Amino acid sequence: MAAFILRRVIWTIPVILLVILMTFGLMKNIGGNPFRKTDRAVTPQTQANLERKFNLDKPWYQQYALYVKGVFTFDFGPSLAQPGRDVNEYVKEQFPRSIKLGLLAFVWAILLGFPAGVIAALRPNSIVDYSVMFFSNIGFAVPSFLVATLLIYYFAVKIDLVPTSGWPLGFWSLDSRVLLPSFALGLLPMAYFARLVRGSMLETFQQDYVRTARAKGLRYRRIVGLHVLRNSLIPVVTAAGPLLGFLITGSFIIEYIFSIPGIGRGFVSGVQNRDYSVVMALTVLLSLVVIVANLVVDILYGFLDPRTRETGR
Amino acid sequence: MVVDRRETALEIAGKTPFAPEIGEAAGAPVRQSSLWRDAFRRYTRNKAAVASGVIFIGMCLYCLLIPGFWKIPGIWTSIFDIDPNDADFGQTYLSPSLEHPFGTDGFGRDLFTRTALGGQISIAIGFAATFAILVIGVTYGSISGFVGGRLDNAMMRFLDALYGLPYLPFAILTIQIVSDQGAVDFKTMVIALAIASWFTTARIVRGQIMTLKQNDYVRAAKAVGARWYRVLSRHLLPNTLGILIIAVFLELPGVVLGEAILSFVGLGINPPDASWGSMAQEGREAYRLHPIEIVIPGVAIATLVICANFIADGLRDALDPRTRET
Repeated sequence: MAAFILRRVIWTIPVILLVILMTFGLMKNIGGNPFRKTDRAVTPQTQANLERKFNLDKPWYQQYALYVKGVFTFDFGPSLAQPGRDVNEYVKEQFPRSIKLGLLAFVWAILLGFPAGVIAALRPNSIVDYSVMFFSNIGFAVPSFLVATLLIYYFAVKIDLVPTSGWPLGFWSLDSRVLLPSFALGLLPMAYFARLVRGSMLETFQQDYVRTARAKGLRYRRIVGLHVLRNSLIPVVTAAGPLLGFLITGSFIIEYIFSIPGIGRGFVSGVQNRDYSVVMALTVLLSLVVIVANLVVDILYGFLDPRTRETGR
Repeated sequence: MVVDRRETALEIAGKTPFAPEIGEAAGAPVRQSSLWRDAFRRYTRNKAAVASGVIFIGMCLYCLLIPGFWKIPGIWTSIFDIDPNDADFGQTYLSPSLEHPFGTDGFGRDLFTRTALGGQISIAIGFAATFAILVIGVTYGSISGFVGGRLDNAMMRFLDALYGLPYLPFAILTIQIVSDQGAVDFKTMVIALAIASWFTTARIVRGQIMTLKQNDYVRAAKAVGARWYRVLSRHLLPNTLGILIIAVFLELPGVVLGEAILSFVGLGINPPDASWGSMAQEGREAYRLHPIEIVIPGVAIATLVICANFIADGLRDALDPRTRET
């Protein structure tokens, strides 16, 4: 078991290095000059000095090595376009807000999606089943900006239940403003969960051990609660990892619409200002989140289903 | 179900000696059926897929015909004589009426024709990017699947690393690189979206090629002396055609949604150029008073995506009925 975990963890390191390399390559190719924001020209001497200060004059492999060292010590360097500010500051400010949004959306997804899938599976081909499937299709297809705007329009403008924008700063503070954005973000995972849970439960119902349990005479409720639910959780857990990754990285649109000062905004303005450090730091961090989420899910899966431990894949 | 199997069996057998009352007299020529005709019959049995196909084709026709190719003067003229880019400030924010079936937007432009025009760009980007995704994905996947061994391992690990890159930031960065000066046009969007989305197709193609490689006809072809390019092009790739068609309708919604999101944030097609995403961006300004302006492109995108999903489901059932879920 320990060998399995170790193997999985070690495999992520080259993946992370590769991701950093690719992001590095992407950023280097964008061009543009972070030190020249206004039309006022920067004198060549100043430009050279600034480049030297930020290590931009060194050959690319040296820059890359320096950067990798920085990543592993959690030092992302100073912000290029905003002199005097460290990227770490930015990230420490904005990242927790996006994480909070993602977690709340995840809560919505589980709160509504999971029961919906279970109910649909317990009454297959009924009106309940069809409506759950119908709504989950819509959840997949409707673009998030439309959902968000309609939600704002109805709940904030028409019936004025919640304010239209704003976000409670501070990680543990919650108020009514978190409801709409997290619901809008959670809609797609909700649809995904409902479908997944329903499919997984239906499949589990076909299994032999369920038939054995019924033949033994166990009560239906006990069978469902104990055996079926637990075993259908496996694909759900597997999907939860990348989903969490999606929630944190895919919050761009919601943050944009609801004016939430998270990493989405930080990323877009970083790209527009050619602020290499910020963009790279955010991309690398987001990738790390996704990779770590996948890793955790893989290990969890190894616990739940011992057959996967042998191959280590 | 029973009738279905008997019918198909009859067609294969070619004659009807045991049950002449079924249809043909004994000895009469029986229609041959091919894979595609069988698939078509299975497809048409799925009502949702058929309806989606009709709606999908209807939308494409709507986008093509309503504004016409008015940018190419002399070749096509508009069926309705309304110019979607004609701003008329005396008629802003109208509600739907007979003259303007979807109303007008903030510049007084008719939304009905403008949606069609935007659809041209959005659907064209969708198809072009999907085609590019297929090209890249098939190349990568078939090399990886066909060669196998260590190269396959390395290529798949590389793909795993690529999966770690978050989709939107990657697309945004690619757009910045591919465009010069940050001016985004059709070509830029297509390339950027394709580069950000080809991974899944590559995996699917690789899986399919690896499965097909085990077949006896491949072994026979190699035994007779066929070179690798002949085995690939003659035997393996044509058999992946089914999967590829399904992949088209699975990638298309993703690309269209991606384009819409990027344009909505302002990093894609920008107004006054029309695309469903840029129309949504314009509609966002006035959503409190005139929500239809953002609802229409959103609903258009949603319809396209839902139809593509159903078509993909129908195609999957039609082309590979063994994997149908109950």
